[in-house]
Amino acid sequence: MLRWLAKRIIAAALVVFVVTSLVFVVTHVFTDPATVSLPLEATEEHRAQRRAALGIDRPLGVQYWDFVSGLVVGDLGESYWQNQPASKLVLERLPATLKLVAGATAVTLLLAAPMGMLAAWWERRFADHAVLGFSMAAISAPPFWIGYLLIIVFAVQLGWVPTFGSRGFVSLILPSFAIGLASAGRLAQMTRRGIVEELRKPYAVTALSRGFSRSYTIMHHTFRNVASGFVTMTGWEVTRMFTGYTVVIEFVFAWPGVGRLAVQAIEGRDLILVQAAVLVLATLVVLTNLLVDIARRLIDPRVELA
Amino acid sequence: MSGANSGTGGRTERLLEVRELTVGFPTRDGIVRGVDRLTLNVGSHERLGVVGESGSGKSVMGLAILGMVLPPGRIMGGSVRWRGEDVLDPAVAGRVRGREIAMIFQDPMVSLNPLKTVGSQLRELLRRRVGLQGPAIRRRSLELLDMVGIANPGDRLKSYAYELSGGMRQRVMIATALACEPTLVIADEPTTGLDVTIQDQILTLLHDLSAELGMSVLMIAHDLGVVAQFCDRVQVMYAGRIVERAPINEMFADPQHPYSLGLLHSVPRVDRHGGELTGIPGEPLDRARFPPGCAFEPRCSEARDLCRDAPPPLLKIAAMRSVACYNRHGETRA
Repeated sequence: MLRWLAKRIIAAALVVFVVTSLVFVVTHVFTDPATVSLPLEATEEHRAQRRAALGIDRPLGVQYWDFVSGLVVGDLGESYWQNQPASKLVLERLPATLKLVAGATAVTLLLAAPMGMLAAWWERRFADHAVLGFSMAAISAPPFWIGYLLIIVFAVQLGWVPTFGSRGFVSLILPSFAIGLASAGRLAQMTRRGIVEELRKPYAVTALSRGFSRSYTIMHHTFRNVASGFVTMTGWEVTRMFTGYTVVIEFVFAWPGVGRLAVQAIEGRDLILVQAAVLVLATLVVLTNLLVDIARRLIDPRVELA
Repeated sequence: MSGANSGTGGRTERLLEVRELTVGFPTRDGIVRGVDRLTLNVGSHERLGVVGESGSGKSVMGLAILGMVLPPGRIMGGSVRWRGEDVLDPAVAGRVRGREIAMIFQDPMVSLNPLKTVGSQLRELLRRRVGLQGPAIRRRSLELLDMVGIANPGDRLKSYAYELSGGMRQRVMIATALACEPTLVIADEPTTGLDVTIQDQILTLLHDLSAELGMSVLMIAHDLGVVAQFCDRVQVMYAGRIVERAPINEMFADPQHPYSLGLLHSVPRVDRHGGELTGIPGEPLDRARFPPGCAFEPRCSEARDLCRDAPPPLLKIAAMRSVACYNRHGETRA
C-alpha cells in the first residue's frame, strides 16, 4: 500500500509538472505577454522595454529554466496587473475556492446518496419518478441560472441570506447549492441505476433470501458495491467544480476565489497570473484524483495496486 | 401426505405447502408463465428433488417459494404456506426467509458479497437474524465453518470470497444458510459449476447435515443423478409444470411420463452395461409460444390429438405417484 501510494504521488507530481509546462508553452510561445499587457497604441519601443522588464527577451530555454526553478521555490513570477507575486495573489484567494468546493461537494453528497437510495428502494414508484424529475431539472439547468434563481428567491425575495460576497457560513449556502445541485442530480441517477442493477445480482438476492430487508440490503450490501463508482463520479464532479463551475459561480456571487481571479487575470491580459491560477487549479484536480484512487483502494480490496 | 419413505421414518409434519403457484413474466408476446400452477409439499425430515432442464422454471420456483420474484416477473396466483402461514404476506416472509427456509444458490462465485469478508457475512446474519451478541457471534461463526468442513476457520473469517476456491465458497454459502438453523433448505443446483469431485463432497455434506440437524431439503437439479443419490421423492418439471411425482426408486424403476423417461435415458449409468444415451428429441420449448395442450406434446413420440387440446392434469395413478399424461391416466384406471 505504501509503495503504491508513493508511486501515485510521484505520478501526480509529474502530471502537475507537465500541465504547468504546457501552460508555459502557451503563454510564452503562442502569445507575447508584452503585447497583450500593453494598450494597443503602445509603440514598439514600449514593448521592447516591457519585454526586457519581464525578462522575456531572453532565449526560451533560459526562461523555461527560470520558470521551473521558480516553481521549485514557489515563485510563480510577478503579476503585471497587480505588481505583486502571482503566488501570493492566488494563495490569498485559494481558501475561498476550497470552501466553495467543499460546500458544493457536501451538498452533492448529502443530496445524491439518499436520493439515489430512495429512488432504488422505491423503484418505479412515486419517489423514484420524483427523484428522476428533480435530477433531470438540476442537470439541465445551467449553474449560473440556478445561481440567479437562488439569489432571486432566497436572497432578494425572502432575504434569508446575503446576495453576494463571502461573509461566514450563511453566504456559502447559495453558491454551494448552485454548483452542487447539478452534480447531485447526475450522481443520484448513477447511484439509483447502480443499486437497481446490484439488487438483481446473486449476492443481493442471497441477502434478501436470508431475510434482510430491502433497505438493509441496499445500505449494507449494494451501496458498498456501487461506492467505488460513486467515489469515482464524485471525483469527476469535484474536478469539474475546480475547472469550470467555480469560475462561473464565483462570478455570479462575487465570490473572492481563484476562479474569479483567473477571469480577472484573463481580462487584464495578466498571463503570469493566469499561469499561476491554472497551476493551482491543476494541482487541485490532480490531488482530487489521487484522493479518489486512495478511497477506491480502501473500499474495494480487489482494486489493483498498479 | 405420507412424506418420507426412507431415512428418518416415523410421523412427518407438513411444513411447506405450495398450491397452484403461478409466476408470470411479461414479454412482447404476452405473459410467459415461468411457473405454472405448481403444487408441492415438503414434510419434516424430507428430501424432495425437483428435476428439469434449464429454463423449466426450477430456479424461479425456488425464489417464488420465498415470495421473491425478480422484476418484471410477478406472482400471479396460488399460495405458499409455511406451517400454515402465508409466506406471500411480506410480514410472514420477513420472518420465514433465512430463519425457517434458507436458500443455497447455484453460483457460489457470485452469490457471496464480493466486498465483505466471510466473517462479516456470518456476523450480520448471527447478529441481525439470530440475535447473538458479543463473543458468541465469533464462537458460532467458527462452529458453522467447522460444520461445513472448512479447515482453519479462524483464518477464513478474514477471507473475501474471491480468495476462496469454488468448493470453499459453496461451503461458506452453506454455512450462511445454516446460520439461522433453518428447518428447510432449498438448494438450487448447488453443485453446478464445481469440479466433479467437489460436487460429490458438497452433496455428501448437504446430505449429512440434513440428517444431523433434522433439516428438510428441497433439491433443485437438472440432473436425475444428483437427485438419485440425495432425495426420497422426486418431481419432474417441464415448462413450469410438474409432469410427474414419485418416490425416487420408483422413478428410476418405472418412469411414467415420456419426458421423465427421456431424462432417465440421459443419465449415464455405471451399474448397467450397454444401452445408449438417447437424450430427448427436439429443443426445450420456446416459452413465448406455449401450446394450448400438453407442453411436451411437440417433442413426444406418443402424442395424440387429445394432447393438443388441453394440458393433462397431474393425476394420482398409484400410492405416492402422480403423472400428467393422458396416455398414462387410462392405464391405471383399466
